[in-house]
Parts: sequence; structure tokens; C-alpha cells
Amino acid sequence: VDLALVWFLLSGVTARAATYYVTVAGLGGEPDYEQRFQGLASDLDKLLKDSGGDLHVYTLSGNQATRAHIDETFATVAQQAKAEDDLVVILIGHGSFDGTEYKFNIPGPDLSGDELASLCDKVAAKRQLIVNTTSASGGSVGALKKPGRAIVTATKSGTEKNATVFARYWIEAMRDPAADVDKNESISALEAFQYADRKTANFYESQKRLATEHPQFEDTGKNDPVRAPSTENNEGLLLSTFTLVRIGEAQREAADPAKRDLLAKKEELEQKIDKLKYEKAAMEEDDYKNQLTAALVELARVQQELDK
Amino acid sequence: VRWKAQASILVAAMTVALAAASFARAATPEECHGLRKHGHNDQAKACFESLTQAREPAIRAEGFWGLEMYQDANNEFRQAVAQSPANANYRVRWGRLMHERFNNKDAADLFQEAIERDPKNAQAYLGLALVSADGFDNKAVDEAKKALDLDPKLVEAHELLANLELEDSDTQAASAQADEALKISSEALDAMSIHAAIEVLADRSPEEWLAKVKQVNPTYGEAYAIVAHHLFLNRRYDDAVAYYRKAIEADPRLWSARSELGINLMRLGQEEEPLRQLQMCYDNGYRDPATINSLRLLDSYKNFLTFRDDTSIIKLHKKEAELLLPYVQSEVDRSIATYEKKYKMKLPDPVQVELYPDHEDFAVRTLGMPGIGALGVTFGEVLAMDSPSGRPPGTYQWGSTLWHEMSHVFILTATNHRVPRWFTEGLSVHEETQVSPEWGDRVSPEILIAVRDKKLLPVAELEGGFVRPQYESQVIVSYFQAGRILDYIQDRWGLDKILDMVHSFAQSKTTPEAIQENLGMSPDEFDKQFFAWLYEQKALGKMAASFDEWRNRLKDLAELAKDKNWDAVLLKGDEVRQMYPDYVEGANAYEFIAEADMAKGDKKAAAAVLTEYEKIGGLSPDALKELASLEQEMAEPKEAAATLERINYIYPIDEDLHRKLCDLLFDQNNLPDDIRECNAVIAMHPLDQASAQFNVARAYFAAGRRDQAKDHLLASLEAAPGYRPAQKLLLQLEDSQKGK
Repeated sequence: VDLALVWFLLSGVTARAATYYVTVAGLGGEPDYEQRFQGLASDLDKLLKDSGGDLHVYTLSGNQATRAHIDETFATVAQQAKAEDDLVVILIGHGSFDGTEYKFNIPGPDLSGDELASLCDKVAAKRQLIVNTTSASGGSVGALKKPGRAIVTATKSGTEKNATVFARYWIEAMRDPAADVDKNESISALEAFQYADRKTANFYESQKRLATEHPQFEDTGKNDPVRAPSTENNEGLLLSTFTLVRIGEAQREAADPAKRDLLAKKEELEQKIDKLKYEKAAMEEDDYKNQLTAALVELARVQQELDK
Repeated sequence: VRWKAQASILVAAMTVALAAASFARAATPEECHGLRKHGHNDQAKACFESLTQAREPAIRAEGFWGLEMYQDANNEFRQAVAQSPANANYRVRWGRLMHERFNNKDAADLFQEAIERDPKNAQAYLGLALVSADGFDNKAVDEAKKALDLDPKLVEAHELLANLELEDSDTQAASAQADEALKISSEALDAMSIHAAIEVLADRSPEEWLAKVKQVNPTYGEAYAIVAHHLFLNRRYDDAVAYYRKAIEADPRLWSARSELGINLMRLGQEEEPLRQLQMCYDNGYRDPATINSLRLLDSYKNFLTFRDDTSIIKLHKKEAELLLPYVQSEVDRSIATYEKKYKMKLPDPVQVELYPDHEDFAVRTLGMPGIGALGVTFGEVLAMDSPSGRPPGTYQWGSTLWHEMSHVFILTATNHRVPRWFTEGLSVHEETQVSPEWGDRVSPEILIAVRDKKLLPVAELEGGFVRPQYESQVIVSYFQAGRILDYIQDRWGLDKILDMVHSFAQSKTTPEAIQENLGMSPDEFDKQFFAWLYEQKALGKMAASFDEWRNRLKDLAELAKDKNWDAVLLKGDEVRQMYPDYVEGANAYEFIAEADMAKGDKKAAAAVLTEYEKIGGLSPDALKELASLEQEMAEPKEAAATLERINYIYPIDEDLHRKLCDLLFDQNNLPDDIRECNAVIAMHPLDQASAQFNVARAYFAAGRRDQAKDHLLASLEAAPGYRPAQKLLLQLEDSQKGK
């Protein structure tokens, strides 16, 4: 699957927007889980606040994660966020699904999928991402999905009811440079998903346990959730353009007018390479290799100039 | 060996009981079985057919059973039991049918129900003994003896006991029991077969006994199968195959022998004929678990890749072959070279090494084998073991197991498969620790308990600890004891005496003979001196004596660690550790102390205790990775790399491990190992292809292998065209090629 070509066409769009993060760690039920959920929320909070950029971070956990506080937080975000901004909501904890309705377990009355959708609907940000890492989170997709909103869940359905490990790896993705597979110095939601998905599978395999969670996503607002991106139905496209954190200096280059020509050349070469990769199957191996080498060398020289 | 249902006193008694009520007196089950026993198979078949017309369901059941119409026989027995719930004999016969048709659980239940109805039913006890014997359960002997107490003339019980004694390598006792059977019945075929097996095992001609069998029944294939079974138990796989062939030649419908033939051919590394033989068994209704599972295993071979060279044939699962091959090949080559030098011999053929990522597949390889280690098994020149991915990380050291099994290959070859199990296992355990003192099994709690309770066996009886354990952990304890015996012999007399003993066993000497001739003392004296040495080793006697106290203190330590009472953990931890330094399993003192040190910010102390853990043989990859990180922080990159390389022998299915090693080894300019580790990352199909490919390119470039460097650079930049380190190296490569 090659979403890179599309990514280049869309990547400029989101450069200047702010991102609003709302993280909620729900009820653990027992000390071990309580500690684990709060720890994950706190790790994510610190990571986001340390990452710089125009991020607005709201984190609720423990006794703070009540319905009233969640409503208040979303009201604040709704007041501030503009249409061009991004909204990222992360749920950590236990969830349940009774066959029709998903509920996120929090102190006091639980938060249903419909209620969460309603809170998100009030936020003007046109691009929204909800990462529901709870048990049974697959049951929340129906209530949450809509065009412009990407949904990631730790489980493939509401019937996968065991506690999950997906959240741990989602957060790990945001601080592990290995998650940045295209080396563009930022971690996209798709990269984080693929990283966490792989790590989750490895966890169960190495522990010789039957996997009780199968992460999935839906980001078109109209399809069933999937486990891997596809160019056929555009699943993964929105996730691939959703930057979670930046880890390099890519943004600084874009701001320097003296380097505009080089940047244009760089973009042209990158598109040429993507096109070559797209046509690889129909090319002779040597021809492909020669053309790719030439383009890569040229791109490397342009980057060398940019770095001066 | 599945003991055939024979015409028996029980059947005779049952026939008499039923005869009065029967209108069809043309034949009795006893007569039918008698015809079959004498090889008159056509008449026997007609006889059994006539039984199916009898009025009594129990008689009809015997008829259907004799005609191999097992479901009908089962239904008739069910009816017989429903009609006469108090009749113990019906349940015994039904149980025997169940036993013959691979359902030992229901068989055992029926025998027990029979005993409840008739506590003096010798046949019911014999049935239980047969079930226990199938699983090499020590109860078999007691149950068979109980049957004989109740009925001293029960030929089949004597024959079973003879078989059990021979399984335990007690030739004299086996011979005596077989003679008892023959005194009662001069046509005791299995007793004659046991005598034949005794002769074959001693490399004497069995013809006299086999001729007697043929006089009674020329088609009695079971006689050869019994011989084959004992050859197999003595790891003489080629010979076993030859006798299974004779068994099916005598009786082509002896499916149990045909199935065993297939399974033993698999053990010799073959695939085509086993598939044919096992499929034939299956198609003819012989579907015991061993046959079905072996067929499944053969089918799974399509998922394996085979790598051959002059000395080895390595079979790895497709999904992990690329990753594991360099490590496995390296250890196979190293172990073969080491043992060739040590044992002064070369193997005649390449060794086949199979690694199974699914433990169930490996387990099929050991079906029907007693006293086999749960991790690896050797059949002549075929060695099968769990892949490192077949076990949770930290529970298995595959490198150690491979060396263990390879030692068997050499010793079995050197002795032409005439070596007691205790000696070859002991030598293998000994060899593990010769490769590295960190390898081999630690003194586990069950071993300490056995030492404390004085349950170690005299050397002359150690074989029984493997073949027919008397308590649950006796096999593990016997491995330990055998290993220590070989350690002791090497310590006191040197390697030459071990080699001399190998030669003695090759000449079919017994354990007492081998000890007396080579070590110059009786087995009793040897035991006395060995135990004295053992209890002094690592203060084993002291450790065993304080085991209960240690356990209580460890529990307390675990509680303190759970409560994060780090000062108390540090105060008490070391004492607990010293009471039982070999304990490196779950919840061990080393890791509690290291955790406390880390919590207190004393990284140096944490590294020190984790180094102790590493040296004593701790296997937790997480703990070892933590130690490597600390070593890196303390500017000890070589030690860090060495620590991480240990994990390669434990659980190499770890991308993070190989990435770290790839960086560390590159920094140390250890390019051959670096290339292996960086390639291991690629073999794990990482999401981050760009950096993985770049790291390999970087190593190749440094090693002057520029073409390979360029290929990997292109792969890196193809995945991420803007990846700066790869871009820089590409320009460097281009410029150097242009002579800039």
C-alpha cells in the first residue's frame, strides 16, 4: 500500500493548525489497573507538553475523569478550537459493550459512545481523531464515525472484553524514532497505529497468549473498520495526514524563503521517486534501480544544500 | 506396545456363564480367539461372524470386536452393561475394547467400575495396569502385581510385568516373569517375544524364540513389534525400523506396528514412506493420537525450509528461518567441531536439526517416549527441539539445548546406540556447562526438595528415574543427578575416563560393570563418594536443609518489594540470595535487589547484582536488557554487547535487541557480528525499514563491501527518500566511486 503520494499532496494543508489533545484515563477497578491507566495518561501528557508546537493538552485521570469534568474540558476545547485545527481524543481504561451500546468506564456514570460523539461534534475542528484504547472499544466505532473523523480502536469488536495493551504501544510510538518509518521527522497517526499494532501482536506472540485485542481503524466515515490501510477505499488516508508529534526540524526549513527553490526541487524529486516506486512493478529491475539511484542521489544533494 | 486382547480365562468364564442362556452354541469367544491365536485367520473370522448372531449382547460384542467392527462392539457392550449392571466382567471386556481403541480414560473408568462391583477381579486390575503401562506410569507394576495376587495364573499379567521389567532394563526380572508365563501356558506368545527382545538387545540371535512363536502362529507380527518397541526404547532406531518391517510382513494388518514404523522412519528424518505408511493406517481406521498427530506434523513440513551443507541439514519454519538460520547454523557448526575434537570421531552423515516454533509440533516428536526432556530430543542423527519462539521469553535457552542434543548424537553414534539413558543424558547436561557455566539447568526447587528428602537414586538404579519415574519431578531430578555424576567423574578422573566408559557401554557393558572396570570401585562405593562430593558442591546439602526457611524469606522479600519498601529489600535481599544463589526463576532475589537499587538511584549496585544474576544463569531478557543499558550508561559498551548477545541464545525474536546490538557492535568496529545483527533486524520485517536497511549498508560500507552497501542504501531510501543518514552515506558512496 502506498499512501505516500497522496500524503505529499495533502501535507502542506495542515502545517499551521493547532492541535487539541484530550486524554481521559478511566476507572481501573483494581489498584494495578488504576496505576497503569493513570501512568499511561501521565506519560502521554508529559510527552505532548514536552514536544513543543501549537499543542493544547488536557488530561483527565483518576477522580478527575468524571462526566462533569469531561463535559467541562470539551466545552473549553469547543470554545477555542477553530475549523482548521485538529482534535485528538484518547481514551485509556476499561470499556464495555452490551451488543448495542459502548460505554467507557469512568467514576460515576459511564460515558457512552453516543455521548462522546456528541461532545466531539460540538468542537469546530474539521479533522478529528479518536483513539479508543479500551477493552471492547471496537464496539464504539458505529457511534463515533463520521466524515473527517478518524477512529482507532484497540479491539476489533465489542466482544473483545479483556484489558488491552494497545495504549502502551500507541504512546511508545510517539517517542520512538523507529515509528517514523518515512523519516519525515514526524509521527503520523497511521505510523503510530502500525507501530502499536505490530507491538501489540508481538506482545501476545512472545507471551504465548491468544491475542485478545486486534486493533483497527476507520477514517472515511462511511466504511467498516479495517486493520490495514488501502488505496482502494482510501482507508488510512486521513490517518496518514494526521501528525501526532514532530520530532525534527522539517518545519524550520519550510519557513525560510531563501530555500524556497531548493524546497520546490526537493518536492519535485520526492514526487518523482514516489512515481517511480508506483511504477516499479511494470519496470525492468535494472532500469528501475538506475532511475531510482539517480533520483535519490539528486535528492540527497538537494538536501545537502538545504542543510548548509 | 499395545497388548492384544487374547483369549483369556475371563472370556472363558464369561462364555460359561452365558452359555446356559444361549441358543447358538456353534462357537464361543474362547474358540474364536484360539483360532486367531494360532494364525487360522479365515476360520477365526467365520467364528467371530457366528458370534454376532448370538442372543447375548456381550457375545455379539466379542464377535463384532473380532471382526474389527468396533462401533458395533461398543454398542453391544453398552447394551450388555445396561442389562446386567452388576456384571463386572462385561465392564472389563468393554474397557479392554476401549483400551485397544485408544480411549484409555474411559477404559480406566470401566476397570474401576468393575473393581467397585467385584474387588477381587484380577482382569480389572490387569486392565488398569495396561492403561498405566501405556503412559509409562509407575502404577502399572503395582496394578499388574495386584492382578497376580488375585490370580497367580494370569498369563497376560506375567507377560505385562515381563515387558515392564524390560522397559526398566531389568533383563533378569523380565526373563523370570516371561518364564512364569510360559510355565502356565506353553503358548504364551508375548512371553516368547520378550525373550526374543532380550536376545536382540544383548546382540544375540532371537531366532530360537521367534521360531517357537512361529510354531504357534506364523502370522504373529506382534512378536516382532515387541522386539521393535524395546529397540526403540533403547534408542536403536534403525534396528527398531527393521523389526517393525518384519512385524507388518508377518501381519500386514497389524496397524499399530505399521504406525510405529511410520513414526520411527520420521524419527530417522524420512518423510515419503512415513506418509505412505501412516496414511494407510489412517485409511484403515487406525487413528490413534500418534498416527493422527504425526500425519499433521508431516503436513506442516510444507511450512518449513531446509538448509543443507556437508555436515548438517537444518529445518526451520518459514516465518523465522531468515532470522534464526545464522544463529542456529553457527551453533550447529561450533558444536559439531567441538565434539569431533573431544570425542575423537566424525559423524558418518549430516545431522538433521529441526526447530519447531509450535511446541505441539515438537511434542508429536516425543509421543510414546518416556523420560524425554521437554525441550529437545535426539533420534540417531536427527535432532528436534523447540524453537526459541516456541516458549515464552526467559524460560528456555535454545543454544544450551542444541548443544545438549548434539552431544547425544555423538554418544549414540559412538556407542552404536548402546548406552544407558542416564549416562547419555548426564553427559549432555555436563556438556552444556562445559560450553558455558551459565548454561545448563540451575538447581531448581524440585531438585533441592529431592536432595533434602534424600530421593536421589543409586547410580545402578538411575535409569529407572528416567524411564518410570516414581514421583512427578523425578525425571528432572534424574537429569540433574546424572549431570552431576558426569561432572564428578570429569573432576576426579578426567575426560579420558568418561571416554573409557563410553567405550564400555559400546561393548554393551552394564552400568555396574562400566563403573567397576573404569573407576575401580563398586557402584555402592561410587554412590557413597559421589554423594559426599555432591553435598559439598555449592553447599548443596546446606541449601537443601534450609530450603523451607529460604522459601519463607523469599515470600517476605516479595511482599517488601511489592510495598516498595526498598530499604528493607536491600537489608534482607542479599541474605535470601545467598541462601539459594541458583534460584533465578520468577520472583528471584537478584531482580528484587536490582529494582530496589534502581529505586534508590544506585545504578552501579543494580548493575552489580544483575551481573551476578547473569553469571549464575539468569534468563530473563528484560533483566539482561536492563543490565546492558546500565553497562552502556557506565561506558562499558563491550560488556553491554556481551550481555545482549547472551539473549540471542535465549530469545532472539526481538527487534529491539538486534537494533541495540547493531549499534553497539558497529561502534566497536566488530563488523562481522554487526552485519549479522543488523541483518537480523531486517529479518524481523520491521516497520522502520529505512533505518534497518541503512544500518546494514553502514556496516557493509565500513567493511569495504560497497555493492552490498549500495543495495541496502537504495532499499533504505526507497522506504524513506528523505532519510538524512542514508542520503549522506549515498553521496559518500557515489563520491568515493567517482574517486572524489
